[in-house]
Amino acid sequence: MDTLLTAEIAANAPRYRRKSSTFIDGIHDVSEDQNNMAPAQLYSTMSGRLFHSGRIAIVMVGLPARGKTHICVSMARYLQWLGVKTRIFHLGDYRRATVGPGGQVPQDYFYPNASPASVMLRQKILKKCREDIYAWLNHENGQVAIYDAVNPTASGRRALAKEFAKHDVQTLFLESYVDDDEILKENARNVKISSPDFYGMEPDEAAERYLKRIQTKIPVFETMQEEELNYVKMINAGQGFFYNNVSFNYLSHRIVFYLTNLHIKSRTTFFVRAGPATEEDSYKADAPLSEEGRMFADLMTETIIRHREAERQAAIARSGQDVPLRPLNVWTSTRLRTIQTGEPLAKLGYKVRQRSQMSQINPGVCEKLSERAIRALYPEEVEKHELDPYHHRYPRAESYHDLAVRLEPIILELEREQNDLLIIAHESVLRVLYSYLMHCSTRDIPKLKFPRDEIIEIIPAAYQNEAKRLHIPGLDPKTIPSSPEDIRILVPGSPPGKFSPIPGPISPGPGDLVEFIVTRPPEKVINKSKEAVADKVADED
Amino acid sequence: MSPNSPKMNGIGVQVENSRICVVMVGLPARGKSYIAQKAQRYLKWLSIPARTFNVGNYRRNDSPHPSADFFDTNNAEGERKRRAAAQAAVDDMLRWFNAGGVVGILDATNSTKERRKWVLDLLTKEGVEVIFVESKCDDEELIMANIRDVKTTSPDYKGQDPERAALDFRDRIRNYEKVYKTINADGDEDDLTYLKIMNVGKQVIINRIRDYLQSRIVYYLMNLHIRPRSVWLSRHGESLLNLEGRIGGDAGLSYRGEEYAQKLPELVLESVGSDRPLTVWTSTLKRTINTARHLPKHYNQLQWKALDELDAGVCDGMTYQEISDLYPEDFQARDEDKYNYRYRGGESYRDVVIRLEPIIMELERSEDILIISHQAVIRCIYAYFMQKTQEESPWVPVPLHTLMKLTPRAYGTEIQTYKANIKAVSTWRGKGSTAKHEDPVPDGGV
Repeated sequence: MDTLLTAEIAANAPRYRRKSSTFIDGIHDVSEDQNNMAPAQLYSTMSGRLFHSGRIAIVMVGLPARGKTHICVSMARYLQWLGVKTRIFHLGDYRRATVGPGGQVPQDYFYPNASPASVMLRQKILKKCREDIYAWLNHENGQVAIYDAVNPTASGRRALAKEFAKHDVQTLFLESYVDDDEILKENARNVKISSPDFYGMEPDEAAERYLKRIQTKIPVFETMQEEELNYVKMINAGQGFFYNNVSFNYLSHRIVFYLTNLHIKSRTTFFVRAGPATEEDSYKADAPLSEEGRMFADLMTETIIRHREAERQAAIARSGQDVPLRPLNVWTSTRLRTIQTGEPLAKLGYKVRQRSQMSQINPGVCEKLSERAIRALYPEEVEKHELDPYHHRYPRAESYHDLAVRLEPIILELEREQNDLLIIAHESVLRVLYSYLMHCSTRDIPKLKFPRDEIIEIIPAAYQNEAKRLHIPGLDPKTIPSSPEDIRILVPGSPPGKFSPIPGPISPGPGDLVEFIVTRPPEKVINKSKEAVADKVADED
Repeated sequence: MSPNSPKMNGIGVQVENSRICVVMVGLPARGKSYIAQKAQRYLKWLSIPARTFNVGNYRRNDSPHPSADFFDTNNAEGERKRRAAAQAAVDDMLRWFNAGGVVGILDATNSTKERRKWVLDLLTKEGVEVIFVESKCDDEELIMANIRDVKTTSPDYKGQDPERAALDFRDRIRNYEKVYKTINADGDEDDLTYLKIMNVGKQVIINRIRDYLQSRIVYYLMNLHIRPRSVWLSRHGESLLNLEGRIGGDAGLSYRGEEYAQKLPELVLESVGSDRPLTVWTSTLKRTINTARHLPKHYNQLQWKALDELDAGVCDGMTYQEISDLYPEDFQARDEDKYNYRYRGGESYRDVVIRLEPIIMELERSEDILIISHQAVIRCIYAYFMQKTQEESPWVPVPLHTLMKLTPRAYGTEIQTYKANIKAVSTWRGKGSTAKHEDPVPDGGV
C-alpha cells in the first residue's frame, strides 16, 4: 500500500481525513483506544482532555509556501506526544475530494468578487471541513483541531472565531508571516518544484514563477492585526514572534514555547547505534569500544559519507546545478562508546556534541542479570512488565515513559537543529526519538529494533515524515543484533531476533555470512509521498 | 546518567555548557525585580543554578538613600556611580559563572541602547549568551500600584515618610523616561535576542531565541503577570486513613476533617477580606473534594489530576511502621535522599515536580487561586514560592487544618497562616527518626 492509495481512500471516506499508511509516520492517525496514553503524557483524565484548556481550534493563517502545513504537522506531533488529542484538517484534502480527481477550482476561487458559483463551491468545501472539525471536538473527545488553510482576510477570520465560539470552542490563530525573499524562494523550491508544471525549469525561476502565481490567484491577503482575537504571528520562520493575548490558556503558551524551537527548513535526521564495547553488559562500567567497535565506527562513517555524497549527486542530476552539501552535526550521549563511535567523524571535522540527557534507559536492578535470573528474582515485576512494557519500571530502573519525559529537551533541540543530524545513541534512546518523529504507539515503542548494521534516515515530506534504512556493509554478524545491555526481558509478542522499526527485508541471520560480504546499496524502503502530493502546487486554500 | 542523579533536574531541563545572562530592561516600577526574582525561583526549582544581581544593591553600598537628582543623567557623579555599580554587578556575575552558575539575571533598568550594547559586549566577550527581557507598561494605575509596592518594600526608602518616598520615586522615574528607549525602537537592535512583554503580557514580542534553555525561560516569563495577587494553600481535612497513620489511599474525611471543611469558608473569608470569589483547585481524590464542598457556590472549582498525592506505589495505604518492616532498605534509602527516592511502583518528589509544571504555569497566569491538595504536593508548591532547596522541601512541615496565604512581592514571598484550631493527627515525620508520625518542633516550619 502506498500513500497515493491511502490518500484516495481518505478522500472517498465519509470523512475526508487523511490517513497514514504503514510506510509513513502516523501523525494523521489518532488512536481509537481511549486508554492508550501518549508517549510523554504525564497523567490521564476522565474527559480525555488535559490542562483544563477546553477545546481549541488552531487556525492557520498565511499564503502558500509559508510552511503552514509543516508547522501544523510538527505542532500536532508535539501535542500528541504530550497526550493532547489533536487532529489536523487540511482544507486542501476537502477541496480535492470535492472537485474530484484532476479537477481544478475556478480561477476566481479566491477573488473577493468571485462569481456566485465559486462562492458556493467555496462554502461547500468549507462546510464539509468545519463539520468534520465539530464532529472531532464534540463527539470524538478531540481537544485540539488544527485547521490548515490560508484564511486570508480579517473579516473571514473574525467570522470564524465567532462561529467557533458559538460551539464553545476557543480559537487561536497562528500566522506564518514571511517577508524574507530567501526563505520564500527556498520554501517554494522545496515543496513545489517536483510539480510537473515546472519540469525542466531552473529552480530559482520555477520558484519565482510559482510565487507570482500565488499572487495572482490570491490577490487579497491581510496580515493579522485584529486586536480582539488571540493570535500568534510567527515571523520569518521562527526568527521572531509577536503575539496578541486576549485569553491565552496553558496550551496556547505551551504551543508558543514549542514554536520558538521550530524552524521550517527541510533537513534529515540519521539514527545509528554505538559500536560494541569491551564490556557489553554493564551499564555502570561505561566501557570503551572493543576492536570490532572501532571497526564499526569506521564503516559507519564511511557509509554515511558515501550516502550523503550520492544523494547530493542525485540532486545535482535532477536539477542540473551544483547543490551544496548540507552540514552534518553529530550528537552522542556522554557514554564512552557513543563518543568513540563518533570519533572518526570528529576527526574529519564534523561537529560532535555530547548530550547527557541521551544516556540509555537505566536498567536498575536488572543490570547484568540474565532473563532467567530476572524471572526468578522478580516474578511479579516480570508479570507487570509484560502487561505494560512502556510504563512499567523495574526496581530502581527507568521506564520508557521516564525516558520519553527526560528526552524533552533533546526533542526540542532536534526541532531547533537546522543542519543534518546524526544521533549515535543506545537503542532505548533511539526507540523513543524514532517514535517521536514517526508517531509510534506506546505499545510498539519497546519492541522497535535497531540492528547495528543499519542507519535510519528520517526525511520530512510535505505532510509527514518518511524513514529510509541504509545498510552498513561488512560487519561481524555477532555484533549486529539488538543490544544485550538492555533489560533482558523479552517483550511479549516480539519475536526474538532483529527487526528494523520499519518493514523491509530482514537482515540476514548470523548463519548467512556470505551475504554479508556483498555490499548492499542504500536501500529505499519508503515510498516518497511526494507523488501523492504533487498537486500540492495547487494547494492554495 | 540515572534520573536520580543529582545533576539531573526536575523537568529534565539539563543545561550543558551554556551560560545565559538575562538582562532586564525597563523603567522603574514595571515589575523588573519581581520578574527577575520569579525567574530565579523557577529555575532553582528546576535545579538550574540561577542568581539575580541587582545593580541597585551595588549602588546602595555607595549611596544608601539617594535622592531623585542622583538619577538625573546630567548628574555626572550619579552617572559614574551607577556605571561603577553595573560593572561591579557584572564582575560578580562572571565570577559566579566560573564557579558553576548557569543563568545570571542582571536586574537594572538598562534603558538606553548604549548601556545595552555595553552589557552585551562585556558578556559576549566572556562567552555568555545574553537575552534581554523588557517589561513595557503604559497603564498608569498598574505603575502606581507597583510604586506603592516598591515604596513599602524597597531598601532605598527604609524608615522614610511614605508620601515623600512616593513623590521622590515618581521623580526618579521621570529622569529615566528622558533617556529610555524600548528595545529595537529604531530597528537597529534586531540582532539581539529579546523578549518584550507589553502591558503585562497582552502583547509579546519574541526575537531570535537561540537555544532550548532560552526558549524555556521565555516560556515561563510569558506566563507571568505582574499584577499583585496571592495564592492560598491548604491540605485536605484530616482523613480516615490519617487517623490510622496510613499514607495515600482515597479515604473520606474524619469527623474532625469534616469540621475543618465546614470552617474553611470562614477562614478563607477572613484571609481574603472580602467576598470576592476565589477559584478552587482540588485533586481528584475524595478528601480534597470533600474539603472544598462547603465553600461558597460562586467559587469556581476545578479538579486536577496533577494535584493528586505523591503515589506511594506498593506502600500505598501502609503505615510507616509497616513500610519499615516490609521494606527496611527502602525506608532508609528514602531518608537519605527523600527528594529523589521513588517508591516501588510509585513516585518521587522529583516526579511530582515534573507533573506540577502545568499547575505552576497556570498559577502564574491566574489570580486568586485556592489550592486544596496533599502534603507532598503542597510541599512542592511551597518550595517553589519560598525557594526551598531539594534537601529541605520534602521535610517541610505542612500541618493539617491550616490555611496558608502566599503573596509574592518584588523582594520575596510573604506568608500568613490561619489556623482553624481544630485538632488533627500529625502526619509529619522527622528525618532519621523512628517510623512514627510525630509533632514537628514548635514553630519549626509553616
